[in-house]
Parts: sequence; C-alpha cells; structure tokens
Amino acid sequence: MKKILTSVAIIALGLTGSAQAQDADMQSLLNKVRNGTVSESAAHKQREQEFLKAKQDQQSLLTKAEAKQAELERESARLEEARRQNEAEITRQLEVQRERLGQLSELFGVLQQAAGDARSTISTSHITLDNPGRMAEIDTLVEKASESSDLPTLNEIRAWPAQMMLEMVGSGQVKTFSADVRLNDGNTQTMDVTRVGDFVIVGDGKYLQMNSKGEISELQRQPSSRFTSTVSAFENATTGLHALGIDPTRGQLLNLEVEKPTIMERLDQGGLIGYLTLALGAIGVVLAVFQWFYLALVTGKVKKQIRSDVANTNNPLGRVLAVYENNKSVDVETLELKLDEAILKETPALERFLTLIKLISAVAPLFGLLGTVTGMIETFQAITLFGTGDPSQMAGGISAALMTTVEGLVVAIPTLLLHSFVSGSSKGVIHVLEEQSAGIVAVHAEKEHANASA
Amino acid sequence: MLALNEAFDAIRAFMERGGDVLFLILAVTFIMWVLIVERLWFLSLEYKKQKNRVIDAWEARSERRSWYAHKIRAAMVSEANHNLFQGVNLIKTLVALCPLVGLLGTVTGMIEVFDVMGSQGSSNARAMAAGVSKATIPTMAGMVAALSGVFLSTYIERRAKTESERLEDSLTMDH
Repeated sequence: MKKILTSVAIIALGLTGSAQAQDADMQSLLNKVRNGTVSESAAHKQREQEFLKAKQDQQSLLTKAEAKQAELERESARLEEARRQNEAEITRQLEVQRERLGQLSELFGVLQQAAGDARSTISTSHITLDNPGRMAEIDTLVEKASESSDLPTLNEIRAWPAQMMLEMVGSGQVKTFSADVRLNDGNTQTMDVTRVGDFVIVGDGKYLQMNSKGEISELQRQPSSRFTSTVSAFENATTGLHALGIDPTRGQLLNLEVEKPTIMERLDQGGLIGYLTLALGAIGVVLAVFQWFYLALVTGKVKKQIRSDVANTNNPLGRVLAVYENNKSVDVETLELKLDEAILKETPALERFLTLIKLISAVAPLFGLLGTVTGMIETFQAITLFGTGDPSQMAGGISAALMTTVEGLVVAIPTLLLHSFVSGSSKGVIHVLEEQSAGIVAVHAEKEHANASA
Repeated sequence: MLALNEAFDAIRAFMERGGDVLFLILAVTFIMWVLIVERLWFLSLEYKKQKNRVIDAWEARSERRSWYAHKIRAAMVSEANHNLFQGVNLIKTLVALCPLVGLLGTVTGMIEVFDVMGSQGSSNARAMAAGVSKATIPTMAGMVAALSGVFLSTYIERRAKTESERLEDSLTMDH
C-alpha cells in the first residue's frame, strides 16, 4: 500500500513539476518520500532476519518430526507383529473351543433352530395374551443360541421346554381374563375376554381376533348368526358343556368371514344394469301379485255363480249368463254368437299383465348376461392397461360381473313361478267361460223348458 | 336316535357345503313332489269316482242329440279336464325352475371363488375350495331334482290326456 502511495506521489510530482507556486510543498513531499524509503528498507531487513530465524526453527522441527515418524513406524511394525500373533492365538483358541464343545455345538444349533420355531409359534399364539412375560424369555434364548461367544445358561435353556409345555397346557384351557380390546370405532376398551385354547377369543358376545402386534381387536364383521348366537351362553357358563364355534386355523377362517361383502355391497357391484334388472323384477312381482289377488277374487265369484241360478253381473260368468237371460227368445245360432262375443269381452281383463310378467321373466336373465359381459369387457380392458400382474384385481372384476347374472336369476325365478300361478288361475276362469258357459246356459234352458212343459 | 342325529348332521354338513341356495332347491323340490304325489293319488283313486259320476249323469239324460246336449257334454268334459290338468303346469314350471336355481347357486359359488381370489390371490386353493363346492353342489342338486320330477311330470301329463280322451269317448251321442 505504501509503495503504491509513493509511486502515485512520484507521478503526481512529474505532472506538477512545472507548477512554480507549489514549489515549497513539493520540496517537503520529496523529503517525505526519501525518509519513507529509508525507513522502509530498515523494516525489510528486520523482516528478512525474522524469516531466516523462522526457517531455522522449521528445520529443527522437521528433523524432530522425522525422528518421531521413524519411531512410530517401528512401533507400528511391532503392533502388526503382535496382531498377527494374536490372530493365530484366536484361531488356535477357537479350535480348542470347538474341540471342547464337540457334539455340543450341533446340539446348540438344534436348540437355536427349535427355539426360533417356538418363538414364531408363541408370538402368534393366543396363549401369549394371558401370559405376557413369555416372549422375553424365549427371545433371550434365541439371541444367546445364535451367538457363538456367549452360551445360554441352563436356566435360559429351560425356558424353551417350559414355554412349550405352557403352550400345550394352554391350548387345552378355557380361560377368562381381563384385556384391552380395540373396538371397530377405534376406541380401546378393557373387558373380560374368554380364550378357548389356542383357537378363538370371544368377549362381550362377539368373536375377537389377535392381530400381528399381539393386540386383541374386534372382528370387523361377525360370522353368521348360527355361530355368534352361541357366544353369550358360552361366556356366561361356569360349568357343563356348551357349544361354541371355534376356528382351528387360528383366525384365518374368521378373517375370510370379514372379507365377505354385505348384501348391499353385493347389489352395488351389479351396477346400473343390476338395479335395472331388480326394478324390472319388482314391477313384475307387484303386477303378478296384484293380478293373482284379482283372479282369486274373480274365481271365487265365478264358483258362487255356478252354484246359483240368478245371473249376477259382478263376475265374468254372470255377465255371460246375463246375455242369455236377455236373449231367451232368439234362436240357438244367434245365442251362440252372442255368448262368444260376451266371452271375448271378458278375456282381456283376465289375461291382463300375463305377457308382461312372462316377458320380464325371460328378459331378466338376458339382462344378467348383458351385465356380465359388460363387466368382463371392463375387466379385460383393465388387463390391457395394467397386465395380468395382479390376479386379485382381475378376480374382483369378474366376481362383480357375475353379480348381474345372480340378479337376473333372482328376478327370473320368482317371476317365472308367479307367472305359472297367475296364468293357472287365469286359464281356469277362461276355461269356465269358454267351455262351460254354454253348458250352464243349456242346463238353464232345459230346466225352463221342463218347467214350461210341466 | 343317534343314527337320526348323525343323518341330520350329515345333511346339515351337505347343506352348508352347498350354501343357502340348496334350501331354495329343497323347497322347490318339496313343493314339486307334494304336487306330484297329489296328482298320482288323484289319478289313481279320486278320478275314477268323478268319471263314473259324469258318465252316470250323461247316461241319465233323456236325449243326447240336441245343441243343448252337445254343450252340456262339452261342459262336462271341460270340468273333468280342469280337474285332471290342475297343477300339471305348475309341476312343469317347478321342474324347469330346479336347474335355474342350481345355476343361481353356481353363479353365487363362482362369485365366492373370485372373491377369495381377489382377497387372497390365486395361490390359496384351500380357501377357494369352499366356493367351488358351493358352485358345483347346487348344480348337481338342481339337476337331480329336475330329473326326479321330469319323468313323473311327463307321465302325469300323458295319463291325464289319455283319461280325458277316454272320458270323451265314453260319453257317446246315441245308444
């Protein structure tokens, strides 16, 4: 910085050398610069000396460090040698240990395996629920048995047969104890639960399950009422024999039960076509039942009419007979024509809705088929997009598609049956009208003739 | 008593393996057989009395040639036919219904199979087996029920037709 200032001063001097007015100032500046140069060179010398001294110091340090390095290298070589010797010693000692263990090493291998198996059994066993400490013991054994450095003690080994015995005894017990149960609404409640062997836990009249974390939780859906109805009686029983459904697969069957969809969920799977089919079925059933009641009423009245001599116009046969009553004087051919006409007038009311019901019963399975096919198309489109990597997705689509077939059949079966009933009673009345009305007329006519001649 | 219990258990196990649809098949089959037995009983016992009554009434008539007589004869035959064919159509419908209900069972069983496949993957054959048995047992039951009824329903129909024709032949116009 000083150097730069000096040179700037010199340039400034050169530039202003001709300025006479400032001569005195320039002289003093020159003096300053000269003085500065002198003092500067003194400082430089001092610094040079300092550097030299520092250089000597460094040299001595380097020598020292080199000496230390050599010493440390010797030390390292020594330690390396010691390590090699120790390794050889370890190998030898391990060899000795192996020799001394002899057949016992195989035994510990078996113990480790057996204890591992036992741990996986115990961790999923319902018996662990009311014997909380048993996992720790078996865990210690498994840990020790898997290490070669630390052998399990006799007491630790004894944990294994003891836990196996507990498992055996526990699987034959019916035991009631208090436990925290996670309910379906997310809350936890402490209640008395009953454990039946290793197969099933019940509590509060419901089937419970043990999840992978060892907690007890309520089943999202209870199995069918035939099984659940026995639970309360079983829980409250103190002695004697009581029926209870158990799950020998330790929860698998109950879990399958949970995954079954409800009827409403099922119906929803059928989709628009499913609802359409069901609506059609409802219309068919309502019409059929209505017409069936109507025909039952008519049949009753017709039967009453057959027995009576007076034509009553509240029923089809009565109206046909009334035609005869009004046309007693006409000849036989005309009477027959008039009767036919009267019968023709009566049939539409008796055959009402029959074709529609028959149509619905025939169309419903076709609707079901349509829904199945469209569902399958959707499934296969999903396969085109995502491939067959996920069979569960595909299977779900197929089961939803089949639902419409079920709905079609569910509609077709009752409508077919109802159609048979309704057409039976309708045919009965029509037969009476078509084949017997003329006969009844003839009987009346003959009676009157006989009365007239008598 | 024990044997009865065992039989009941066996039936219940069969019913449970086949699913709820089996109860529907059972109901349909039961109604069908009640109707079949009623028809057979009517044709072999009851009908003879009715036939004799009709023939006697016809024979008792003073004249059997007029238009009135023809109509009365037609009415008599029609009434006899009505009795003869009562329920025959219903039996035929029920016979046709049996395989349909069986099909319903098949489809619901298949849905169960695919449900299991959907939740457990296709590797769990044991879980799927329940659905498969629910798919096959109702089909078989429906077929068996239909077959058990189809011969007798045909027999009853043919017998009724023959009887009707025979009655018509017995009611002769002149003597």
